[in-house]
Amino acid sequence: MKEFEMREAGQDKNLRAKVGVYICECGPNIAGKVDLDKIIADLSQLDDYQDVELVVKKYGFLCSGPGKEFLEEEIRSNGYTHLVVGACSPRDHDSTFMGVCKKTDLNPYLYRIINIREHCTWVIDDKEKATEKAFSYIRGGISRVLRQSELFEKPLDINPDVLVIGGGIAGMEAALSLSGEDRRVFLVEKTDHLGGISLDLSGLLPGQGEIIKNKIDSVTEDKNIRLFLNTSVETVIGFLGNFEIELVSIENAETTDIMAGAIVVATGSSLFDPGESAHLSYSESDEVYTSLSVEKMFSGEGEARLRSGKKPSSVALIHCVGREEKNYCSGICCSYMMKLAGFFRNQSPDIQVTEFYRDLCLPQKDDQERYTEAEAAGVEFVRIKDISIKGTEVSFEKMNSKKSEQSFDMVVLAPAIVPSADTEELADLLTVPLDESGFFQEVHKMTNPVGTSTDGVFIVGTAHGPKGVSDSMQFARASAGQILTRLIPGEKLIPEVKVTEILEAYCTGCGNCLDVCVYGAIYSDDSRGISVVNEAVCRGCGNCYGSCPSGALRTKHFTNTQLYREVDEALR
Amino acid sequence: MKKEFTPRITSFLCKWCTYTGADLAGTARLQYPTSIIPIQVMCSSRVDPVFLIKAFLSGSDGVLIGGCHPGDCHYETGNYHARRRFAIVKSVFESLGLESQRLKLSWISASEGPKFARVANEYTEEIMELGENPTRKNIFL
Repeated sequence: MKEFEMREAGQDKNLRAKVGVYICECGPNIAGKVDLDKIIADLSQLDDYQDVELVVKKYGFLCSGPGKEFLEEEIRSNGYTHLVVGACSPRDHDSTFMGVCKKTDLNPYLYRIINIREHCTWVIDDKEKATEKAFSYIRGGISRVLRQSELFEKPLDINPDVLVIGGGIAGMEAALSLSGEDRRVFLVEKTDHLGGISLDLSGLLPGQGEIIKNKIDSVTEDKNIRLFLNTSVETVIGFLGNFEIELVSIENAETTDIMAGAIVVATGSSLFDPGESAHLSYSESDEVYTSLSVEKMFSGEGEARLRSGKKPSSVALIHCVGREEKNYCSGICCSYMMKLAGFFRNQSPDIQVTEFYRDLCLPQKDDQERYTEAEAAGVEFVRIKDISIKGTEVSFEKMNSKKSEQSFDMVVLAPAIVPSADTEELADLLTVPLDESGFFQEVHKMTNPVGTSTDGVFIVGTAHGPKGVSDSMQFARASAGQILTRLIPGEKLIPEVKVTEILEAYCTGCGNCLDVCVYGAIYSDDSRGISVVNEAVCRGCGNCYGSCPSGALRTKHFTNTQLYREVDEALR
Repeated sequence: MKKEFTPRITSFLCKWCTYTGADLAGTARLQYPTSIIPIQVMCSSRVDPVFLIKAFLSGSDGVLIGGCHPGDCHYETGNYHARRRFAIVKSVFESLGLESQRLKLSWISASEGPKFARVANEYTEEIMELGENPTRKNIFL
């Protein structure tokens, strides 16, 4: 190995490198597909590197208990400076062998796994070709590992407390799941009371009023929940484990500074304004209501009356208001409209209820049953192409293009669920992107719907997207689960080690990297005129590297030198 | 006997999607030629335009970038950046009269093992038709 390369690898030039190369037979998976003895003989004879000693061995199953012990003992007794393991995919056993390194003096970042099983022996049946490829693959690994540098984990102290924004059902559920002897919760609500929209809903479950009241009482009485009513969030800086937050009172503009390790966003949603609908000539009329105001009537008075005080004898329930404008289905309206139909039938059994819909969406467990019951009880379901409302006159076009008009005593609209008004502002504050519909964007809709690109910020309830009460609560518990497993009181957090750094001497402070970083991990240091990486936030994707015109960036463990060596070696 | 030409395709594979897709091709024992040289990167956006040029000038007969499908990037928008940078290098290749077919960008998800094998096979055939990378013979830098 040349002197300058030794220096580049961060090693003392007087130190002689000793690389241990261990090939796992993986039963017949590797040993049966390549000529291992030939590979070992060829590798042992490599004289590419001066002052580098190679020890090449094979073993049955390196990932087994005895295999790991064997490897540990070998590293100890041979005093390797670097380690290469030719085995399976890093997804399977990278962490296994890193764990072995950690038990010894060998820095785990001076080790490399070479995936000769998935990328070679399993995909090439020809033994000779597979042997050749495995050889050059491992040779590339040796060359790369010699350029790798020691990296050290820097455990960070964490604050286990949590800020919950929004005191609706999702926010309360998250707060109650999280609060405990060793974890405080700061619950911030912009109105003067808890409960949010759930207070206005009717007939969700038997004894619902009691359940919600009990929840509010539990939150209020919980010593570990500090409640901030009439309060909003002013500034947020920090990262998972360490956020600094400034709260401001809406009443008297008084500010409070708090520290928390995680943030749960439960700011809810609002309703689409039917007046904006191009497909619905809606003008506010005395007897046209939104579903929410009818919910309020039922949850308050227990019945829905016209403004004259009479009970309506005919009701039009209009689904899908704003669906075409918003281009998504809210998913819960069909279900609650059928619930309302049931309430109307209960208060006057002879009532004529007509539901106008574009598409029915019945995703919940008992929705289908509710629909069948409603239909059997005489509720009319009319699928429409187009609809317009003037007063309580409903003109509609059916799917067969037949146009009709009908007059009702009462019209109830089910407007789409839309992001609440302050979503954009809050998203900006938390550096969380919004999705196409304007709701907070999750990490992944299937695998992590509560996480966001800002690690430590979670989205629950309808702030994430339209959903019902039970889903909102499930999301709240899911976020609590993630926080409870990651922020353990008294334990430290180990941030990503393979992060990017910016070399001050090369950086011109152009700010290109700031623009491409979705995590906000880079900030501009105006006093020095350069950009700086916040290593606690960086995830090490390396996107910034490609945007840097002056080559000032270095992605640890994936440096250019390392990657170039890998390429060169493979092409030799 | 003249040795059969085996192309060498330097393949920068994103850790989360395409590298895992290639693993899956292995698990399913799908066959593809030895031409593919997998180089793992954290994200397709880590592939600096210079990498493509470097891999080409070092004698790769083809250079492949594998990333997550648009909208599916582990780092949210990395693959969009990768796509733009790739387009730039491709147009530079065209302007310089180099064979831009020697560069390829493919979206292969973690579940698309068969697609990885298919892309590997098809691209290898395409490169075999093109022949060896001319820079292997003519050093022009």
